[in-house]
Amino acid sequence: MELTPSEQDRLLIFTAAQLAQSRRDRGLKLNHPEAVALISHAVIEAARDGVSHSQALAIGQTAVRSDELLPGVASMLFGIAIEAVFDDGRRLVVVDFHSTEDNIPGQVTRLSSTTSSAPADIVTIDVHNDSTVQISVTTHMHFFEVNPRLRFDREASYGRRLQIPAGEHVDFPAGTTVAVNLIPITGERVIIGFAGLVDGPLDAPGAKEQAMAKAKALGYLDGGAA
Amino acid sequence: MTPEELRDVNQDIAVHGARAGDFVRLGDTDLVVRVESDDREIGNELQIGFGKNARDGIGMRSVRSAESCDVVITNVLVIDAVQGIRVTSIGIRHGRISAIGRSGNPDTMDNIDVIVGSGTVIIPGEGLIATAGGIDSHVHAMSPRVCDAALSSGVTTLIAQEFGPFWGVGVGSSWALQHGHDSFASWPLNVGILGRAAGSTTAPLFEALEGGVCGFKIHEDTGAHPRTLDTALTFADEHDIAIALHTDGLNEMMNVDDTIDVIAGRAVHAYHVEGCGGGHAPDVLRMAGHDNILASSTNPTLAYGVNAADEHIAMIISAHGMNPELPSDVELARRRVRNATMAAENRLHDIGVIPVTSSDALGMGRADDTWRKTFAMASMFADRAILDGTVEADSVVTSNERVLRHVAKITINPALVHGLAHEVGAIKEGLLADIVLWPYKSFASKPNMVIKGGIPAWGVVGDPGSTVANAQPLVIGPQFGAFGVAPADLGVHFTNSASTTTVAGRRSVPVKNTRTVRGRDMLYHGVLGDVNVDPTGHTVTFNGEIVTSEAQSRSSLTRTYLL
Repeated sequence: MELTPSEQDRLLIFTAAQLAQSRRDRGLKLNHPEAVALISHAVIEAARDGVSHSQALAIGQTAVRSDELLPGVASMLFGIAIEAVFDDGRRLVVVDFHSTEDNIPGQVTRLSSTTSSAPADIVTIDVHNDSTVQISVTTHMHFFEVNPRLRFDREASYGRRLQIPAGEHVDFPAGTTVAVNLIPITGERVIIGFAGLVDGPLDAPGAKEQAMAKAKALGYLDGGAA
Repeated sequence: MTPEELRDVNQDIAVHGARAGDFVRLGDTDLVVRVESDDREIGNELQIGFGKNARDGIGMRSVRSAESCDVVITNVLVIDAVQGIRVTSIGIRHGRISAIGRSGNPDTMDNIDVIVGSGTVIIPGEGLIATAGGIDSHVHAMSPRVCDAALSSGVTTLIAQEFGPFWGVGVGSSWALQHGHDSFASWPLNVGILGRAAGSTTAPLFEALEGGVCGFKIHEDTGAHPRTLDTALTFADEHDIAIALHTDGLNEMMNVDDTIDVIAGRAVHAYHVEGCGGGHAPDVLRMAGHDNILASSTNPTLAYGVNAADEHIAMIISAHGMNPELPSDVELARRRVRNATMAAENRLHDIGVIPVTSSDALGMGRADDTWRKTFAMASMFADRAILDGTVEADSVVTSNERVLRHVAKITINPALVHGLAHEVGAIKEGLLADIVLWPYKSFASKPNMVIKGGIPAWGVVGDPGSTVANAQPLVIGPQFGAFGVAPADLGVHFTNSASTTTVAGRRSVPVKNTRTVRGRDMLYHGVLGDVNVDPTGHTVTFNGEIVTSEAQSRSSLTRTYLL
């Protein structure tokens, strides 16, 4: 058979699924490894039967029923990643089981919504995308140094970043103008790297003027008053 | 909350995990903890990945690791007897915890405690719980696979008594010990071996000392007589090493009071103090509650279950070279098994009298069950209120103290008992970065990652040919820290200061402060008092009050998770 390590792993899934099936046949409720094995097995065999990726996913999502599971198991059946051999090659299927059960192992309960204190110093600027492609800017990027094809008041953005939660971003579709809120960068306010427009303490004497001159020389579009 | 607010909250939890004030249920237990604090600034969290802020010049500072750290575990829910229950980040430098607090780049973020360099390895901890690596202070390493089982359950330190299928309960030969140390260096584990304290003179003890043991085991099967006991304790006082004690279960030479008298106030680790595992029948449990006697339990009697007694008869005969056909052997085994002392033992854990849990792996316990059974036991006594929805969540007394008490039993307390606390036992600056990461949903039952000396050494791995690292079949097995010469370097050989033994590639660290440690030093424990077992073994009292618990028909952390 010349089985690879990955192929041998199919056998582990198969064995676990057979065990789980024999327990299901005895009318037992399934626990977490049993349910995962049955779901994985269903997807792999669906792919072997020649169905499409979306069909295999649907088969995986319905491979077990809520009433076949032990209490608490349904909520644990998410992000089940399975490599299956489809007719067009090996493909990854990720199954999330839809759970409505209240019994949730590891549940986090929060009594009120998360609030952060709003910064006092916010500037709002219009940003126009002069390029032919969409540009996206993430939360903590020094906004002053973003893509030179974005046209906005560069001076107003000096030492600032987007006022959005960490990890999110703002899209600037090609040819459009989007208004954004900017807040001061915190910490020691030292900007190293990026486009090299500052490369030092933001608030050093003359740093801003130097950065403005450099941006202008390098062709960064500026929609500011100056 | 409005439906929109609730959606935002759920999304925030999915991305960032629990925050200060949140309630977190541990696995499928009835234990719910409340997060005491969160070092992150809301809206300014360090995050890894595509479009996230853990990038050069933003969340990462372009400096060498000497000015930042080698590894950082970010934004993880720490549950630790020293740290409490808090969300924070853990910086690691050269295998030790170097900083704990808010992580990121001080150039662009306020109040950074853990500086993340542009070359720092990041282990994102959102949605995970970090504990110190478990310390199993009672292991019969009859098979090398016990090491795999221990690591797979979140244990990173073993106090072992054998290294192979030989009759050991401690090893005396320095030649044999050398081979044991060399072999254990193949695993990313800290290992100390106990010498056999079956000497009526100190000659065999000296040999084991030179052979690099970290302590001694006294076992009735090799002699727990007044002389061996006193010889070992006197020797221990001279050399600062721990003594683990399995007492005279036959009462052949001494009753439990006599054993306590021979110990004479000296520090000793009383193994399986309930008695199923061995020791004075029926009342060895009376050794709990003394300041100098540091008592532990082995895991089969924990989360006292309806089948515990039946299992133990079979286990005792099987583990102790006995024969089920011999009526005399069966009678001795039966005498060791008492429901009342098991029921009392669990309660004594909950009120802080017994400070340590361990496995007794391959010698009447399960190497990979100590975290699970310890927290299943904690759950027995927990208040179900918040889960039932019968009480407003903000008025619920959460299980923080109970959870920290039970974490202490597997981490800091055995470290103190065996003189390891200068290296391991807590998430604390300066200690080895032996850290276990657990999903909230499977806390104490199945770990996600075992970090040994700062390097992922064991954990969940999947289909090796997959596009992603988490494809089925997921199994718990070795990570990179378990290969090549890494395991020797990442683990420690716990030894004594008179040892003449070295282990290739592995650091030898003498244990210390084993003779001065007392019950009152045990974190979240230290409750002292008079444990009494009536001569029938049917009633146990603590300071005159009956202590007991109800046998459980269902143990948490078990059926939901185990195939």
